[in-house]
Amino acid sequence: MDYDPMVMDEAVGPSVKITEAGTQNVDFELQNVDLAFANSLRRTILAEVPTMAIDLVEIEANTSVLPDEFICHRLGLIPLVSKNVDDVVYSRDCDCDQYCDLCSVTLTLHARCTGDEIMKVYARDLVVDNMRANQWVGNPVITDPEGLGTVICKLRKGQELRMKCIAKKGIAKEHAKWAPTAAVGFEYDPHNKLRHMELWYEEDAVAEWPKSKYAEWEEPPQEGEPFDYDAVPERFYFEVESAGNLDPDVIIQQGIKVLQQKLATVIQELTEGDGTTNGMNGGYDAPRSPDVGMNGQPWQEQGYTTPYGNGNASAWGGAGAATPYGATPYGQNGANGWS
Amino acid sequence: MAPKKKAAIGQPGTVSASGSALQGFSALLEPFYGGKSLTDPISTAEDKWNLLPAFLKVKGLVKQHIDSFNYFVDHEIKKIVAANKRVTSEIDNRFYLEYLDIRVGEPERLDYDDRRPQNEITPNECRLRDMTYAAPIIVDIKYVRGKSVIKRLNCRIGRMPIMLRSSKCRLAGKTDRQMAHMNECALDPGGYFIVNGTEKVILVQEQLSKNRVLVETDPKRGIVSASVTSTTHERKSKSYVMLKKERINLQHNILQEPIPIVIALKAMGIQSDHEMLLLVAGTDSIYQDEFAVNFEEASKLGIFSQHQALEYIGSRVKMGGRNKTPGAPHRRNYIGDALEALANVFLSHVPVCGLDLRPKALYICFMVRRVLMAMHDPTLVDDRDYVGNKRLELAGQLMSLLFEDLFKKFNTDLKSNIDKVLRKRNRTTEFDAFNHMASHGNYITLGMNRAISTGNWNLKRFKMDRAGVTHVLSRLSYISALGMMTRISSQFEKTRKVSGPRALQPSQFGMLCPSDTPEGEACGLVKNLALMTHITTNDEEEPVKKLVFILGAEDIVALSGKEIYEEGAYVVFVNGTPIALTRQPKVFLNSFRKFRRMGRISEFISIYINHHTRAVHIATDEGRICRPLIVVENEKSKITIDSLEQLRQGTMNFDDFLYQGLVEYVDVNEENDSNIALYESEISENTTHLEIEPFTILGAVAGLIPYPHHNQSPRNTYQCAMGKQAIGAIAYNQFSRIDTLLYLMVYPQQPMVKTRTIELIHYDKLPAGQNAIVAVMSYSGYDIEDALVLNKASCDRGFGRCQVLRKYSTQLRKYANRSSDRIGNRIMDDKDPTKPIAKHAILGSDGLALVGEKIEMGQVYLSKEVPLNTTSSGIGSDFGTNEHMPAPMTYRLPDPSYVDKIMVSQTENEAMVIKVQTRQTRRPELGDKFSSRHGQKGVVGIIVNQEDMPFADSGVTPDIIMNPHGFPSRMTVGKMLELLSGKAGVLNGTLEYGTAFGGSNVDDMGELLLQHGFSYSGKDFVTSGITGESLPAYIFFGPIYYQKLKHMVQDKMHSRSRGPRAILTRQPTEGRSRDGGLRLGEMERDCLIAYGASQLLLERLMLSSDAHEVDICEVCGLMGYQGWCQTCKSTRGVARMTIPYAAKLLVQELLSMNVLVRLKLEDEFPHGGPKPI
Repeated sequence: MDYDPMVMDEAVGPSVKITEAGTQNVDFELQNVDLAFANSLRRTILAEVPTMAIDLVEIEANTSVLPDEFICHRLGLIPLVSKNVDDVVYSRDCDCDQYCDLCSVTLTLHARCTGDEIMKVYARDLVVDNMRANQWVGNPVITDPEGLGTVICKLRKGQELRMKCIAKKGIAKEHAKWAPTAAVGFEYDPHNKLRHMELWYEEDAVAEWPKSKYAEWEEPPQEGEPFDYDAVPERFYFEVESAGNLDPDVIIQQGIKVLQQKLATVIQELTEGDGTTNGMNGGYDAPRSPDVGMNGQPWQEQGYTTPYGNGNASAWGGAGAATPYGATPYGQNGANGWS
Repeated sequence: MAPKKKAAIGQPGTVSASGSALQGFSALLEPFYGGKSLTDPISTAEDKWNLLPAFLKVKGLVKQHIDSFNYFVDHEIKKIVAANKRVTSEIDNRFYLEYLDIRVGEPERLDYDDRRPQNEITPNECRLRDMTYAAPIIVDIKYVRGKSVIKRLNCRIGRMPIMLRSSKCRLAGKTDRQMAHMNECALDPGGYFIVNGTEKVILVQEQLSKNRVLVETDPKRGIVSASVTSTTHERKSKSYVMLKKERINLQHNILQEPIPIVIALKAMGIQSDHEMLLLVAGTDSIYQDEFAVNFEEASKLGIFSQHQALEYIGSRVKMGGRNKTPGAPHRRNYIGDALEALANVFLSHVPVCGLDLRPKALYICFMVRRVLMAMHDPTLVDDRDYVGNKRLELAGQLMSLLFEDLFKKFNTDLKSNIDKVLRKRNRTTEFDAFNHMASHGNYITLGMNRAISTGNWNLKRFKMDRAGVTHVLSRLSYISALGMMTRISSQFEKTRKVSGPRALQPSQFGMLCPSDTPEGEACGLVKNLALMTHITTNDEEEPVKKLVFILGAEDIVALSGKEIYEEGAYVVFVNGTPIALTRQPKVFLNSFRKFRRMGRISEFISIYINHHTRAVHIATDEGRICRPLIVVENEKSKITIDSLEQLRQGTMNFDDFLYQGLVEYVDVNEENDSNIALYESEISENTTHLEIEPFTILGAVAGLIPYPHHNQSPRNTYQCAMGKQAIGAIAYNQFSRIDTLLYLMVYPQQPMVKTRTIELIHYDKLPAGQNAIVAVMSYSGYDIEDALVLNKASCDRGFGRCQVLRKYSTQLRKYANRSSDRIGNRIMDDKDPTKPIAKHAILGSDGLALVGEKIEMGQVYLSKEVPLNTTSSGIGSDFGTNEHMPAPMTYRLPDPSYVDKIMVSQTENEAMVIKVQTRQTRRPELGDKFSSRHGQKGVVGIIVNQEDMPFADSGVTPDIIMNPHGFPSRMTVGKMLELLSGKAGVLNGTLEYGTAFGGSNVDDMGELLLQHGFSYSGKDFVTSGITGESLPAYIFFGPIYYQKLKHMVQDKMHSRSRGPRAILTRQPTEGRSRDGGLRLGEMERDCLIAYGASQLLLERLMLSSDAHEVDICEVCGLMGYQGWCQTCKSTRGVARMTIPYAAKLLVQELLSMNVLVRLKLEDEFPHGGPKPI
């Protein structure tokens, strides 16, 4: 990691202390970074770590009580294993027409209730196609002891579901179904030494406000200790819990990687970019406003004409039938009562 | 949405969800006793509310409608027929037809056929097939045929629409599972009708009570009057006793002028002045002096005897056209007229047997006395708005009026038909009246259907002409349907600006909901019933009268005025008519009540003492609102731990409580005469009753609000209006219904903070909203003016997602010439004959859209074709073409939908009906309206990515951010309490209660929060998602139940640059549905004028609207064409100019009315300016 040495203190790099780690979650303490960095990592983990999720559904038969969109929405929200998801390319970057083995995983669902009992269709009933980037990607996440997974739908006798689901790679910024984690715990300064927060209390702040569990990790403020105006937050406590599609360590590594890539494009832009071309097409594919990277040039897009500037003829005055749609609604072209 | 807090809602619509093992009301009782085992300690103070579910078990939520209808169908209809049982002929006086009995059968198909075993029909089939849910009206008759009397049983004379869940309905007494088999929702309250496929409710009508004296004053004109509206089956009339300028008169519509009261009483047989004076004023000298003046008037007119008095009255009676025979000079028998008027017209509800006018005279005497009393003490006038003076008219009463009218008309028609046949001397076949009955078969059916489907109760016989009696049952949400069933509409005019009838009456307590009323013009006029109310039906008067005498009261007819007004003597009134006198009113009252509590007389008969008028009033009439209360005797509540235990075990039900005298029904008047303790601890020596539960003063809709007693009252009223617009689950059968417009929520949740009412009305089973995690803070500036900030990830995960189902329906008609509408084939593409053209892309080979297809604007979903020729008969050479013209049904909305289902069926008249249902699934977008349960509505102002949202240290992001400015001025403290209880409940894994005047204790909630490591205040430590810095203030953070309202931008968004114009004026059309323009209105125009933007004005009002070029002749000032003036026959001076088409139209329209308009043209710039054309 090449951070700008100006931000960091000499040789002391960021350090991580893992306090708890499980298969689904990891709690760690991040030290020696500034607040903005820590928050960027949090934001990246939440929104930009790529995972797999069902994105397209081709419905062949649905005679259940739930409408097609309902089931599609539920299918989309089923977490899919996204281990080594880098092997999958983004569908939009792929050369294929709609989707192919390189950019997607196909899951098929075929369920039909034949018994008198109400049948539940589970995520385990999704059959993953073997034509995929690697052996893990696209498997539905099943964590319950019975090995059933999420309920998709209930079927009554004679009802049937037959559909083909296409899972694609994506990020949570586009849709929350691609989120690797539902929420990231983030905390600093448990004793409020920095006074970022005004403690509201009725009688006694200490008694009324339960202490954070990280309070014992840091020195409580001494009685009569003077307030340090220059102090900045340094220790950040993260709690990351996976949605099941990625291992918690991978989530953080991927988060760092995505962050790195994003920063790299910025650095590249600042150092080598010639200032006139759109240098920002590197790895940045998230939604953006139309004039990002236009470098001060007036935004012009074909098909749009602003009514002002550019010497463009406006609908009024000027050269007669100047409206893009031909004749003005009144009178003949250009020949109105005042010409 | 907090992912861990998603309530498991069974999928509505599946058979399993509604059925399960829960039968009937056991499910209803479950939540209350469920939490407690039978051995748990019971305290009467805390558990007496268990009576409420028990009450609802026997009464149900809309029992008033059903009871009323049942009474009509089971009893009233028989009375009506008994009163009109004979049909005779004027031609043949031996002929008669007599109705022996009448019954209403079970609902069945119209195309009834003995051969068909399946005649049973379910309500849902009627809804789907646009039929009427009706049962045959069956009579047994006996009539003369030839020389013998024939008896015929089971003759059908018509069909009666049947109220759902009434005793005649197929759903009566069915278990939930059976209901599910019939595709009917077990939670649907019933109480409405299905006519031609639409659900119609007969709203409860509020009226002033009939047959009761009402004393009023008009201080401006110095008038004191006592009036009575008498209503009997035969007649409806209003009589007044009026004091004006110290004289008391009797007034009635039938009189040409008011007659002095002394004369009226004389005519009624009170001949001695002294007797009269005593009867009116008693021995009280003040009243005597007041009344004595009236004697002078009579003596001045020289009227001393009954005979004279009758003559005097008779000459002033308008006899109308009744006794007149045309031609012959009519000689009136004044005395006869007067006697008839006195006996039958005045106060017609007081029975007169054999011209014994004494009871009626007494009645008038009491009226006069009330007038005298009111004159003396102005506080003794009656209050029109007092709920005890009101009666509610229900479906059964309205239906019985309608039926009576139709039945009478049916009989007169039958009679005239029979007369017509009997008039003929020689008939080919023997006359059989039965055949004629059948030919009138439709009259009653059609009349009933028409009245219910249009809502016009137009009965001349009863001088009744009401419109808007019925309404289409609103199925927007479960609550809106329920709210409609408890609604009461007032006869009062909406336009009048009086506050009295709109005001909240103290006597409404417990009877009418204080919160649930609309805003605006109908405010206070449309009311709703409270949760635990009952509306009485008619009870027999005779047994009550007997009981009065048994209890030792003396018959009033035999008593003199001296005795009546003696100190300590109380007059007993039954339904407003004086019948007896008692000297021990308290003893009388107590023993009467004892009889009622024993169940010897109907529990709905009320009795109370009015000490001001010294009267004991007994009421048995219909339409009184009453409610159950616990009886208190000797400072002890009659409800004991023992009885509550039995209730819990199911060995006693509410009716047992009633018959054992533990609980009794009390109407408004009796309530007013009682001392009711709210809580058991408040019982004192004077207490007569104990309230069952205080929250029952609210209605079903207001009952949804958590902690309403902490809110500012208008906020509760706003919520009552908004709760009905919330999108949620509608009924268990929502997927087997095809409604014109149906809004459904994809993942509805039951509220975290419930109320007892929510459980009682099953809102938790058919909810309309979701528990959103709310942060009360400012964010981004897109949250001003109540706008909400939504979390994008929550929307992705299904928050606020809803479905909109729309119905498009058509009928394939058959025409007289045997041609009929048909469904045409789809048109195939020219180039690729295997594919249909784009417009028909989603049509199947049968010409109907395929289910599941996406349908976009302009596409055809049903390629209907109509015959070109519908008139030619095909007889002889009159052949028309046999061709059909396409009349396709096209999808018109800008947003695409999916075809959800298509139903093809037949209506009752064999026409084919096709219903296409389309479906849209919508996620929340900018501008969609949301509301909490506290009258706090707001639109979505911005949808923010999850990573940008503020979060608590655990990482929880809110679903909704609400601006704190919503709180101070609205004072919805209940919302804060909801958040607090909800948060505690989430952490504790329990559902908390926010029941009115109770609910979870705030201190307990704070304690729970502290236990789970949160601040007791409900505030959290929150970090900004954008900077990562913690926010300087603690944020109030927790779950609040949010409702998505039906107002969504997608249905309202509209803009236009160019588009269609109206034909007549050539101005842009109006309204979104016609792609109309946005009007620059008068006020906007005023602004432009004031500013002086003349060119903009010209452009907006003419050029962009309806500019039109005309040729105007400068010579004559009239319009020409093509440079030619037709009037002057020349082209000289014809000028061309642009004017609004509307102006040109005006000129021409004036011309057509012979008003000539000459347009004078002038040069605007005479010198040097642009040359005018």
